Amino acid sequence: MKKIMIALTFITLAAGLKAQQTDTTKKSGGNPSSTDSLLNSMSQDDKHQNVIGAFKATRLILSPTTTTVKRNNLNFLVIHRFGDIGTPAGGGRTLIGLDAVSDVYIGFEYGLSDNLNIDFGRNTIGGLIEFGMKYAVLHQKMDDSSPIAITFLGEYGVRPYGSFTSYGARNSYLGQAIISRKFTSALSLQVSPVYVYSNTAIPDILGNDKGFFALSGALRYKVTKHMSLLVDYEHPFSSFRTNNGFPDPLGFGIEVETGGHVFTLNITNSRAVSEINSLSNTQSDYGRGQFRIGFTISRMFDFNHHEKWKDNK
Amino acid sequence: MKHILIILLAWVTVHQAGQDIYVCKNVKVNLFSSAPIEDIEANTTTGVSVYNPGTGELEFSIPIRSFHFPKALMEEHFNENYIESDKFPKATFKGKIQERIDVSKDGTYPVTVTGDFQVHGVTQPRTITGNLKVSGGVVTMTSEFMVKCADHHIDIPQIVFHHIAESIRIRVSATYTTLKNNNPSK
Repeated sequence: MKKIMIALTFITLAAGLKAQQTDTTKKSGGNPSSTDSLLNSMSQDDKHQNVIGAFKATRLILSPTTTTVKRNNLNFLVIHRFGDIGTPAGGGRTLIGLDAVSDVYIGFEYGLSDNLNIDFGRNTIGGLIEFGMKYAVLHQKMDDSSPIAITFLGEYGVRPYGSFTSYGARNSYLGQAIISRKFTSALSLQVSPVYVYSNTAIPDILGNDKGFFALSGALRYKVTKHMSLLVDYEHPFSSFRTNNGFPDPLGFGIEVETGGHVFTLNITNSRAVSEINSLSNTQSDYGRGQFRIGFTISRMFDFNHHEKWKDNK
Repeated sequence: MKHILIILLAWVTVHQAGQDIYVCKNVKVNLFSSAPIEDIEANTTTGVSVYNPGTGELEFSIPIRSFHFPKALMEEHFNENYIESDKFPKATFKGKIQERIDVSKDGTYPVTVTGDFQVHGVTQPRTITGNLKVSGGVVTMTSEFMVKCADHHIDIPQIVFHHIAESIRIRVSATYTTLKNNNPSK
């Protein structure tokens, strides 16, 4: 009997101690309980994920971005450049150039996969029709195992109208490697080396380079969750263009994102939308008042199907 | 006889103290918002949860990025504009089941869980009801509750087309297995 009494005392004591222990954990609050630490050990941070939203749209003002259209999505683009604001042709007579149209691009981009896109579009300038392919080779990762994103872009352009010596003379090609990094949740930068080759030089002037390298740099700065500021700059490395005083295309813009749409309002000196045209033949200069209002409307259509919730059986 | 009794009592105590902890590594969560143009729905199956029947403690941790939306843009907006998953990568719930549940007995028990619910870096005390089902040593919990965006400082911008509702319906379903090796340091 004595032994039972002793045992019972011990057990009660042990139980009491145990209760006290749990009490202290509860009171201190900061100390994680065993459940807490177990949960923490189970839910490791998965930092090896793609950084999302470096750019909201597949295009900025002049240059394309590393962003691709996702699988089974169709992006419909309408890009407009109006007439000169600051020349005698502009001003009040044409409502700061809004009556005049310099270039219009209407095009589509489709995601064959999340990384591979095809695109098709038509420009007013030169009647240039473009077919392209875009491939995201590398994504920026949250743990910086890949600090940058790289996307390749190839465009084939053809000018179906006008007199050319042969069909081949109508063709232009563009190859571009786009490298971007989202530095903070607000700031993204990108640089892209470009090579442009046109079988007939644009403009078709004696001594003009048919092929040349160019470099473009762009910046996106998020001001609010839905609005960003854009700066986009291109420089062609072409002695003909430098010697003849071709200014570098430069654009400033505001990008507004509203769900399925991305709307960009911008000011550029470049008349042309297509990079083939704008890199080859930008002759309009801010200093001479030859800058214009432009806009880009990007509308995304998603053909993916809805996935329904199923309760656990 | 006395000795056996003592041993038996001691064993019962030890057994009580070392009661199995239940874990689930594939918590299913569904979020649903009715919206004017189309309903928005997302799913994840990679949440984790720990349930300690001895103390009634119940905890969940859901990685935000694991939520998949049918449309890529919705997913991007959800992460970038609403829940800011780069800053707040997880949603957590740490609470206690109010009822005493005997997990050794099969059955379905309605449960009330009180604790802290954290989303978007904002913690709210919540009392959430659900069901706990025990069947052959397997514990399943299901719950459905509403979360107000405003409670967690999630702004709903006025200009967006994927306009979400002010309250989001959350459905949770988790099937637990016992953690045989009850060693929290591991």
